[in-house]
Amino acid sequence: MLYIHRAICISPQQTFGEINIQNLKESVDKLHAIEPKYEAIPPGLLRRMGKAVRIGVGAALPLIKESSALDGIIIGTANGGMEDCIKFLNQIIDYEEGLLTPGNFVQSTSNAIASQIGLMSANKNYNITHVHRGLAFENAVIDAMMFARESPAKKYLLGGVDEISAYNYNIDFLEGSYKKKPQSNATLFQSASPGTIAGEASAMFLVSGKKEDATAALSAILVTQTDNVNAVKNQLKNFLENNLATGEQIDSFVSGENGDNRLVEYYDACERVLADKTTVIRFKHMSGEFPTAPAFALWLASYLINKNEVPAHAVKNAGTPKPFKKILIYNNYKGIQHSFMLVSNA
Amino acid sequence: MISAIGNSVEENHMSLVNGRHGIGTLTLFPTAYADKRPCGEIKIPTETLRKKLKVQEPGVTRTTLLALHAFEEALTDCGWTEGQLRTHDTALINATTVGGMCLTDELYQDANKESGGSEYLSSYDCGSIGIYIARRHEIGGIVNTINTACSSSANAIMYGARLIENGFAKRAIVGGTDSLAKFTINGFNSLHILSPEMCTPFDKDRRGLNLGEGAAFLVLEKEEDIHNRKVYARLTGYANTNDAFHPSSISEEGEGPFLSMQQALRAANLSPDKIDCINAHGTGTENNDETESRAMLRLFEKPPAFVSTKSYTGHTLGASGAMEAVYTILNLYKQEIYPSLHFKEAIPSTMLKPITAYQNMRVSHAMSNSFGFGGNCTSLIFSKY
Repeated sequence: MLYIHRAICISPQQTFGEINIQNLKESVDKLHAIEPKYEAIPPGLLRRMGKAVRIGVGAALPLIKESSALDGIIIGTANGGMEDCIKFLNQIIDYEEGLLTPGNFVQSTSNAIASQIGLMSANKNYNITHVHRGLAFENAVIDAMMFARESPAKKYLLGGVDEISAYNYNIDFLEGSYKKKPQSNATLFQSASPGTIAGEASAMFLVSGKKEDATAALSAILVTQTDNVNAVKNQLKNFLENNLATGEQIDSFVSGENGDNRLVEYYDACERVLADKTTVIRFKHMSGEFPTAPAFALWLASYLINKNEVPAHAVKNAGTPKPFKKILIYNNYKGIQHSFMLVSNA
Repeated sequence: MISAIGNSVEENHMSLVNGRHGIGTLTLFPTAYADKRPCGEIKIPTETLRKKLKVQEPGVTRTTLLALHAFEEALTDCGWTEGQLRTHDTALINATTVGGMCLTDELYQDANKESGGSEYLSSYDCGSIGIYIARRHEIGGIVNTINTACSSSANAIMYGARLIENGFAKRAIVGGTDSLAKFTINGFNSLHILSPEMCTPFDKDRRGLNLGEGAAFLVLEKEEDIHNRKVYARLTGYANTNDAFHPSSISEEGEGPFLSMQQALRAANLSPDKIDCINAHGTGTENNDETESRAMLRLFEKPPAFVSTKSYTGHTLGASGAMEAVYTILNLYKQEIYPSLHFKEAIPSTMLKPITAYQNMRVSHAMSNSFGFGGNCTSLIFSKY
């Protein structure tokens, strides 16, 4: 059991500081994170940070400040400092391998977020960056769950971060990941066409294996790689069988549906496994699509459990109204990487 | 495994025994530094690798092909069945820093939308390699990719071992891969840490590192699941720590390296004097070799025999931790130690000298160090089985 003690999120919605997600902040095509002022980061340092590092450090610092020394920093990010990476690449080509400045190169490595957090908090403990595309955050979760089992009293910073850089947007666009026509997030789920909208966020969690002071708990996770709908459905059945007590049921399903009509069948298949009265909640119109979007979903699940309220714009199927106690998150990244996470009240 | 000194573990072993390095002029792709910065290049063109591995799909990069080559050698050697690969308790943990960015020019075009899109659109990221191999070999369990810069694949080994210990997997194939790229050559060159000559790890006149390419995979299982199959060594200790000092250099006293070695010993329940040899990170840069030496001097009353095999292969970044783990395991399995090359004179402030001649040696416990940008330090300890 992995207990969540605190969760902080910088996202395209008002999730940081004064939280207000009742009203959807609307955008077209790209959902950019609403960035705070970052008063805790020295301005000189802030200027050198790429956006992924900025939102990563920005969401992590309040957690670090409130907690005594952490026993480790576990980050999932598929693209890390992609923007710096391509900036350096452009230097190489544009200056024909001439004299280049190393700043972008050093910031371009995926581990820049975790290491910057380690550096700013003088943390010499475990420090790792999982980068497995649509399962980067989930592997970070598994890593943290193993620590919760190995040494329950230890506290870890667990996070998922990805940015929209002009470059990964271009690459994903060429690959057919985004809508061809301008798409507002407010009508994302009515668009019956291939592709989705881009997003970005940083969600950070203070976690341990101890229940004391916990606000939510992650009891199980399953990750799988397949393009077969039936395989996904069967995995879900097994997952529920293995992780729910007899008679216990999921009350809410947090679905990673993203408006891409090519992926609808996977989400439909999972919904059909669950009871009809299950509340179905969607979030990609809030966060946009990105490989570590499940980190946003986990933040949302812990919000639902603690506030016991859900914004109307996120509800797909109201089901039977009841307190949020047992939430299933399902995410599907580009039709091949799938994850299930089971979140409950602590 | 595959590296500049051989296309299999056996070939790598022969090169180590004979002190034969693989560093020279870059020939397989154009860069302004081809004859100015020696590299540990694998002299097999990408197309040849593709044919040899029977890869027909578009968009498979050199980094993936190197990984696949090493993965399939490890798989053949361990004798897992296809059925075992498909079960939910078989994990694949890869590590890479370059990923598909070895295709620097294609990435430039695609990222800047200067073309209609190449065949590599979904191959640039680090995850693409593990995703491809998992699909090709139908791996049923957890698949992951780790990037902690130059310590990446040491962390892949550690993660795989912990998955098994915690019941998330029953067996794991773990390792790393990186290929030479204009991106990394220019990156390390802009930091002024690429040597214009052969790298000379731990020498007082060292002038920097040589980049290399390669891939290595190791197969991990619990002792009770081995059933008379071949065992090369036991993984007895590991630790991951952070130097928390600077984004691209290690603190003067080598705090991160000291802590990773110390905590790995603690995890293995061994005192420092039990370590018979160390495969050092030993990049040949001013900063690394001095700080690693200091960390060894702080931890060990008398540092054990140590070498840097980067003098054979160059620094293979995300692959180096796994490649050097294989070399460390060979120390144990063959009871011998391979010389560190090109060393002449010790660093005056530390006076530490690596082993410079091949010798048979009693090795019961051996350590392998990997340190990276971002202060990421990992030490692994292997023991004789």
